[in-house]
Amino acid sequence: MSRTVRLPRTSRAPAGPGTLAALTAAAALVLTACGTGTGSGGSGGGSDTLTEIDYYDAAPQNTQLPAILDECGKQVGVTIKHQQVPRAQFLPKLLQQASARSLPDLALVDNPDLQQLAATGGLVSLSKAGLSTAGLYPSIVQAGQYQGQTYGIAPGVNGLALYYNTDMFKAAGLTPPKTWDELTADARKLTHGSRYGVAFSAIGTEEGAFQFEPFFWTAGADLKKLDSPQAEQALTLWQKLVSAGSASKSVVTWTQADVNDQFGAGNAAMMVNGPWQLPTLDANKKLHFGIVPIPVPNAAAKPVTPLGGETWTVGHSNAAREAKAVKVVKCLLGHDESAKWSKDAGYIPSNQQAAAQLAHSDPQMAAFVQEIGTAKARTTELGTGYPKVSQALADAIQAALAGGTSPASALSQAQRTAQN
Amino acid sequence: MSTTLHHAGARPAGPGADRPPKPRPRTAGPARARLAALAFTAPAWLYVAGFYLYPLAGSVRMGFQNYTVSSFYTGVAPYVGWANYRAVLHDSHFVRTVTNTLLFTAGSLLFQFCVGLALAVFFNRAFPLGGPLRSLLLVPWLLPLVVSGTAWRWILDTDSGVLNHALLGAHLIGHPVPWLASTHDSLIAVTLVNIWVGIPFNMVILYGGLQSIPRELYEAAALDGANAWRRFRHITLPLLRPVTAVVLTLGLIYTVKVFDVIMILTQGGPAGSSQTLTTFAYNLSFQQLEFGRGAAVGNLLVLVAVVFAAVYLRATREQRRAGR
Amino acid sequence: MLFPLYWLLNASLLPSTDLVKSSPTWLPVHGTLQGYRRALSSQGGHLLVSLGVSAGTVLLVLLIAVPAAYGLAKLRAPGGRPLTFALLIAQMIPGVVMANSFYTAANHLRLLNSPLALVLADSTLCVPFATLILQTAMRGVPAELSEAAVLDGAGRIRTLLSVVLPVSRNAVVTASLFSFLFAWADFLFAVTLTTQDDRAPVTVGIYRFIGAHLSDWNSVMATGIIASLPAAVLLVVAQRYVAAGVTSGAVKD
Repeated sequence: MSRTVRLPRTSRAPAGPGTLAALTAAAALVLTACGTGTGSGGSGGGSDTLTEIDYYDAAPQNTQLPAILDECGKQVGVTIKHQQVPRAQFLPKLLQQASARSLPDLALVDNPDLQQLAATGGLVSLSKAGLSTAGLYPSIVQAGQYQGQTYGIAPGVNGLALYYNTDMFKAAGLTPPKTWDELTADARKLTHGSRYGVAFSAIGTEEGAFQFEPFFWTAGADLKKLDSPQAEQALTLWQKLVSAGSASKSVVTWTQADVNDQFGAGNAAMMVNGPWQLPTLDANKKLHFGIVPIPVPNAAAKPVTPLGGETWTVGHSNAAREAKAVKVVKCLLGHDESAKWSKDAGYIPSNQQAAAQLAHSDPQMAAFVQEIGTAKARTTELGTGYPKVSQALADAIQAALAGGTSPASALSQAQRTAQN
Repeated sequence: MSTTLHHAGARPAGPGADRPPKPRPRTAGPARARLAALAFTAPAWLYVAGFYLYPLAGSVRMGFQNYTVSSFYTGVAPYVGWANYRAVLHDSHFVRTVTNTLLFTAGSLLFQFCVGLALAVFFNRAFPLGGPLRSLLLVPWLLPLVVSGTAWRWILDTDSGVLNHALLGAHLIGHPVPWLASTHDSLIAVTLVNIWVGIPFNMVILYGGLQSIPRELYEAAALDGANAWRRFRHITLPLLRPVTAVVLTLGLIYTVKVFDVIMILTQGGPAGSSQTLTTFAYNLSFQQLEFGRGAAVGNLLVLVAVVFAAVYLRATREQRRAGR
Repeated sequence: MLFPLYWLLNASLLPSTDLVKSSPTWLPVHGTLQGYRRALSSQGGHLLVSLGVSAGTVLLVLLIAVPAAYGLAKLRAPGGRPLTFALLIAQMIPGVVMANSFYTAANHLRLLNSPLALVLADSTLCVPFATLILQTAMRGVPAELSEAAVLDGAGRIRTLLSVVLPVSRNAVVTASLFSFLFAWADFLFAVTLTTQDDRAPVTVGIYRFIGAHLSDWNSVMATGIIASLPAAVLLVVAQRYVAAGVTSGAVKD
């Protein structure tokens, strides 16, 4: 999953007097690099206890993951100390740990961040450690690589698809849209009273960019050139949905979790979202919904969605610990464990065969599995340059949707920023 | 460093040393008196050096470095001179960010102060339930911002927000206002919430100031036939001036670096329309991973602080002179 | 002013499904106390941690700020202006700048997850403020009072403890209270310096609670209300002193 967090998970400063939030206001990140040198981190000690960090602080994943970890720890004969930090704190925390030379033994890292972290030199090469990626989707293997070495392997992956409310579609006599034109038309027809036709997240972070990329890529655009006519086409689609009133103006403030809330409450007839929302949606008994692939510009096109999902990494410590951590990763990626994780957390197994089985047995997952075959890792085109471009793209989306800027000029601005 | 601080703090100068043999303190020798005085402030000096200057030095250094993600691990970051500052100044968001910071700060300060003063004046007269009500007004200050910020997000929501419902109901607006979702309104919305959070601070301090104005002055003025407004203009405002200086200076310093209100409500968006220097620095560092540029913006902010601090000191110095 | 508070209270009582409804629910007629039950059971330990850390912060801040303020206000310590200047600037240093270097330091000193590290970090929020407030208040203490004490043969420390401090009691209470509240409300340092959930103060507790109960907003709002209660009680009790303390030196009467 990309960003499932609901609140802008920011560094929270205190609710001090007025804004005596004062000194904790987080602005520039400065890590006086004095942590380097002495390896006094938590990873310097013995090898009976391993440290682990992830950002699954939400139910149900926040209890499922530790359970699987404990199980694997038991098999390998180590205790695993887990730590779950909110998504927005995750990268800052890892960087702090990197600078203190105390990277955790195991970290579950979002795949677009993997190359950045691998570039620090703090991660153990998993290919050298003898872990195989055979049988996994090539795109996720690629996302885990940096300079020809594998540093991260995903137990499961995800993508985006179109959820639709079957009751509303039935009442309106519609079938789920396959093309952009159908999407626009259906959304307009389904907009009624306080209900919007479609919901998506256009928040000004990577999360918004992640949601836009299926449209962006399916149109044939390229992250290296944000101001192409294809990109403009995709952004125009989103802009029209909002300006026609088929999507709420609030999309620019919604996270994917907010979008899910809106859909669950019946405030939207369709939404763009990922499979990790399924546990929550399935629990809502009053809601009836179906899932289809993201609509495409014309009937002949195939959707290209961004590949979501986290990869397991091993931080450098000493030979004994690294060996044990690698063993734990091996266990986590094992058939049973990754199948269990996928099932509980709403993920698609990264093993192609297992995914095909899942698509067969679980119709809800079929649309997602179908898309994963053509899904694209976000760092494929740009590598470590991705975060900057994604931010520029998110800005352009917001400028077009909330600021009345034309898609063309918003995108050309973004292209200039990305090159700065 | 922290342990030495403790010792230094606990034992400022030997107690016996500064006890003069004869009760003539002023002749105890200026050098020794200065030394003793220094001993009292020494812990604070050490504290400033260890807890503020050291991190600040790191930030200043980082502002001149090309600091990447891998620098965190390797500690290696090439020096690039003023390149980060140049990049920031040429950033397409920079001008807007500075303007936003100014508007946000000025708007927050003005309204926090005015409403805070009005409430302080209001509560300065004793009336039934005044105490509990005043206490209730302090709650915004104590609530964790994650919580109150979220409540505000609901209130300001375009479609289901209670504010738009009320305004539509009163026929003050024709269409729902996208408070947080439009580039035109988002800055107003975050300023509004920040004012709400900041009013209690202003109220508490100003109320304290009002309480210490002698009642007789008002009584005398009332006898002279001055009406309420004149009493406010000619007694309250002048006598409140020193407190006003404190409130506004502290308010200014804190408002310039407000971070969480904005991050929770809009994350600086949409499209940077509610971005201020602090959120800009954060985004540069953590969204774009341009740590050097983030540090550069942070340093600019500290520079602004230096200017304000100088102004404050000048103001209080005059005040101190006037007081003597 | 009060409406958002009402709205929060309302939200803490409403079932979560009502919160995303397209029209607002004005009164929690179908209210539920479930949010409070859930919040109370999960945040007790965090409240205790917060209490300890906040109290420790108050102590440390007073230990540094009281002598400094005395030295600045009454003894005319050399370098007083630069120190005041430095303290003012210190208030403006962005929090993350400090948080990261504290993390590194705490890691070296093996103080991560220790309340001591949090006390040290949180104190940076309050030392400048406390020093300034105390300094203003002490300047207002009539010179004759302290001189009389010195004439009686009291040393500077005795003078400070038995004459100056009692007279500026209000400012001491104010500085302590504000320090307590800052430490209580601190989030950034708390989230940086604690890695274990059971050592985390209440702000981090709430934050994680929100993460874990995404669709459970009434619990979240209830947690917020519970977490602000201790601070609110303290503030109400001490408010009399605060009003007088902040301004005792600034307003001459």
